[in-house]
Amino acid sequence: MIIVIIGALVVVAIAIVWYILTSKKKPTKHAIKGTYEDQAKSDVEHIFNDDFRQELRNRGRLYFEKIINENATFLQQDLRQTTSQLNEYIKKEITEKLGEEFIKYEQTMRDANQIALESINKTNATLETETQALSAQLREQFSNEKARLIKRFEENMAEIVNYYVVSAVGSQVDLNDQLSFIIGDLQANKDEIVKDINNGA
Amino acid sequence: MVPKELSEEMLPPQITTPGDLNRLIRELDNLDEYLRQAALRSSQEPSNLPQTSKALEELAALNSLQLLKPDDRKIFKDLLSKIKQQAPTIHFGFATAPSLTFLSKLVSWLRINVHPQILIKVGLEPSIIGGCIVRTTNKQFDFSLRKHFVAQHSVLVKSLSGMEETPQP
Repeated sequence: MIIVIIGALVVVAIAIVWYILTSKKKPTKHAIKGTYEDQAKSDVEHIFNDDFRQELRNRGRLYFEKIINENATFLQQDLRQTTSQLNEYIKKEITEKLGEEFIKYEQTMRDANQIALESINKTNATLETETQALSAQLREQFSNEKARLIKRFEENMAEIVNYYVVSAVGSQVDLNDQLSFIIGDLQANKDEIVKDINNGA
Repeated sequence: MVPKELSEEMLPPQITTPGDLNRLIRELDNLDEYLRQAALRSSQEPSNLPQTSKALEELAALNSLQLLKPDDRKIFKDLLSKIKQQAPTIHFGFATAPSLTFLSKLVSWLRINVHPQILIKVGLEPSIIGGCIVRTTNKQFDFSLRKHFVAQHSVLVKSLSGMEETPQP
């Protein structure tokens, strides 16, 4: 469009120049003899005098300026339109590119998310396995330790109870309250005691 | 075995240990020495006699002896020496120190049921909690609570198992 406008302006300029040149160099092909020729020359000089030429130049200049202004206006409009279209085009292109990039980015994020999920699932599975193994091992150790403690407790229960009672009541046990039990035990073993005393060294 | 009847040979319950018997012998020696010296210094009966223990007086009365008579004192000294030599001794181990009342009751029972002149030695064994450990000349009898715990081991295990099965709310 711009090229067409510029071309039109050039053609118009050439036409004006040609017109000016042809108006100055118009040859008198027919040799008119005598006064006709002189009169014609005089008339031509009279008609196309400097003022007339100046007037023509002014008109041509005004016309040229008008054409130039019109074409400038067209060019401006065309430039605005072109700029608008260019903006639309660039906006569209950028939008499309951004959309594609966003799609690629989303796809990449989905892939990364999927990989991360798979990794987490694998880690969870491994941890679950390790936890189960560790739990089983701990249960076994607890069971063994419990059995060992129970066995030891049962084996030494009398000593443990004895130690506990000594710590708990200690010297607060009154011997007077135990006299009947002591005499009962002595009564039960009286024969052996008497026998040992009578046969003592 | 039928308990012996109370006789003049039975020691009073205040005399429980060999230490008590030795103390009586010392008291009697002191009294005898004092009266002997008093007799040498004067023919009159002394007015302020050394104080004697109730156990000594009871034992003398039990054997119908008068402490002011030299012959009776000699007989008494011989008797105490004989008792010291012949009296059987039995050792008791208690968790805590026994009171005099407790020892008197215990030695009374022993003199009625085992031997009329038996003496006891007392030791402390806190680990037995309760009861006593009796050591005679050749034997030891464990009447302690610790021994009862050991003997009742199965009962303890059974009780604890029952508690584990039926926990309290």
